[in-house]
Amino acid sequence: MTRKIMLVEDDQPILDMMDILLRRIGYEPVLVPDVLDALERVKSDPPALILLDIMMTPMNGWEFLEKLRTEYNIRDLPVILFTASPSVEERIALMKDPYLGVLQKPVSIPELKAGLEKFLGKPE
Amino acid sequence: MRVNEVRTGSLSLPGTDLVRLVIIAVLAILCIATSAASFASGILAIITSQLFFIPIIYAAYVSPRKGLYVAATCSLAYQTIGYFYSFPSPVSLVSITGEAILFIVIAAIIAYFMERIQSGELKYRTVFENSQLGILLFNDADFSIKQSNEKFAAMLNYTVDEVMTKFLLDMFLSPREKSRFLERFGKEKTTSDFETRLAAKDGSSCWVNLSWGQISVGTVSCSVVNINARKLAEKLNNDNMMKYRQLTEGSPTSILIVQNGFIRFANPSFVAFVEYSPAEITGKSLSAFIEPGNLDDFNKFSEKWAQKYPAKHAKEFRFVSKTGEVKVGSLFTNQVIHMGNPATLVNIVDITEKQRLEDQIHKDNERRRGVIVTVAHELRTPLQPILGYLNLLLSDADGFGIKEDTKKILERCLTSVDRERQIINQMLDLSVLESGKLQLTTSTFPLAPLVRNVLDAGEFAAKAELTVNIEDSIQVTGDKERLFSVLDSLLSNAVNFSKPPRKIGIFYRSAVGDRQHHISIRDNGVGIPQDQFSSIFEPFQLADGTVLSRKYERLGLSLSIAKNIVQMHGGSISVESVVNAGSTFTIHLPKEEIHHDA
Repeated sequence: MTRKIMLVEDDQPILDMMDILLRRIGYEPVLVPDVLDALERVKSDPPALILLDIMMTPMNGWEFLEKLRTEYNIRDLPVILFTASPSVEERIALMKDPYLGVLQKPVSIPELKAGLEKFLGKPE
Repeated sequence: MRVNEVRTGSLSLPGTDLVRLVIIAVLAILCIATSAASFASGILAIITSQLFFIPIIYAAYVSPRKGLYVAATCSLAYQTIGYFYSFPSPVSLVSITGEAILFIVIAAIIAYFMERIQSGELKYRTVFENSQLGILLFNDADFSIKQSNEKFAAMLNYTVDEVMTKFLLDMFLSPREKSRFLERFGKEKTTSDFETRLAAKDGSSCWVNLSWGQISVGTVSCSVVNINARKLAEKLNNDNMMKYRQLTEGSPTSILIVQNGFIRFANPSFVAFVEYSPAEITGKSLSAFIEPGNLDDFNKFSEKWAQKYPAKHAKEFRFVSKTGEVKVGSLFTNQVIHMGNPATLVNIVDITEKQRLEDQIHKDNERRRGVIVTVAHELRTPLQPILGYLNLLLSDADGFGIKEDTKKILERCLTSVDRERQIINQMLDLSVLESGKLQLTTSTFPLAPLVRNVLDAGEFAAKAELTVNIEDSIQVTGDKERLFSVLDSLLSNAVNFSKPPRKIGIFYRSAVGDRQHHISIRDNGVGIPQDQFSSIFEPFQLADGTVLSRKYERLGLSLSIAKNIVQMHGGSISVESVVNAGSTFTIHLPKEEIHHDA
């Protein structure tokens, strides 16, 4: 099973840091700084999970998720909203999507590991 | 002519019915006898027949029907006698028959006219006697009273006979009323609705409404209506209105008396509130001033006024003033008696300005919350690389070639990042709590296990000597997760503001009949000066740069959040403290089920 984690995030310092961090904890990061590239990348190079920032332009994380789930009909690809926006939990609860989670920035290594393992299981 | 004569009938002759009957019978018999004698003797037979008209006319005059009976009897008797003596002369027989028919015709004619006269008389008498109006006839030269009915006499406590001896001008209550009457009478020979006051027999005043008209030369007919009750009611009304006016004139509250939905009285404050003139207000329906969009609610509210137990609480409604301005009034109602009938006393407090300020505050709070959310986002984002790199370095210090003292520095950095993260989270929590948008998820659960969970999660047993005194049977109702964080905050503060050897006690108390749970957390820490008791619960109070704030900075926003959560449960947090001896924070939580608006 692939250990590819796609990080859709427009903040360069976070991309840089996460690149190192994800590798360090045994994953293979795919960095996507432009959200418009992300959907094509999902199709051409499917990841095991997407870490998705919310506040992005020109398309925000929610819109991306909507497109992914309905337009591209990819419903069982785990997506973790990786966000500094507060109170997204309520909205997530309403969506009742079993493959959707959230990690509040800033996230520590143990929190990140736990969040990923929730969907991907512990690495062998 | 006297009234008692009128009553017995001015057109009937004296004597009782029996006497009259006897007179008629005697006259009739005399006529028959005379007639028989003259036929027998053959003298004056034609003339004697005329005598029959005496009893017939008399009888018809007394009673039209009896007149006809008498005429028929006389006619029969006259014919019998006439035929007996005149037979078989045809001329005589025709003449006798014609004479007999004439009796009946004359009786019928008289009866017809008498009937008409008597029924007219009856009508007049009925109207005069039974009228609810006082009726009197007076002389227009000397104002002597010629005739009065009972009603008029009774109005002034006189008998009819007493009234008949009086002059109308002497019956007015005062010379002023008399001259008013004379002035009007001089101008108008026919008038209606002249209100004046007459004097009753005992000298008391009687309000009357007079209408008069000339019915014949020298005689004026006058109808009199007693309007005492109406005048009294008007006076009472004026007195009441005067009282209301005096009582409510200076009130800043709009005060109304509403009866069947209509405004009976409004004070100057209401006039100013709706900007209509008093004349435009009185008699109008109160609902006419309510903003149309608010009318249904208002109607529902006002329907309850008539109930025995109307709504006790004030309710707010939007009014539209004459200038079109929408104003907000808070209505309080009370049932009262107005003019002898149930009415509603309506107090309206103008809260337009208050409402406007509240709306403004609400908007400002929303804006502030928006700013806090944005700021939180902006503050958290750059923390991510810092936290990530620190985690990374510390997770493999040897691998990164980090020496022990450098590692300690990095650990301190990590602590600070954690604290900043916590402060930002608290700030967000508080903004949600203060916006009132947080929903509690309530359930009823045992208190003791919750406390144990908090103690275990925070590893408090390792930090302090704990005394827990909560019976297992104690059940509380509330949002378990939120109460967990409240207990955790209070326990963390107890640890943070004391030095080893720390002693922390957690106690529960509630007397029988007490409607609240009291959960206390006692420490042996630095304590809080009494003048700071309230400010420690205020958000951002601790960043004001005082010695105290530095001392308590680790409190952050935890107490504000705890206070808000407990308040959402309908409870409160209190504090007792002695500086350098310790503090006790007590959560007071209602026992009954929590009702809170979403």
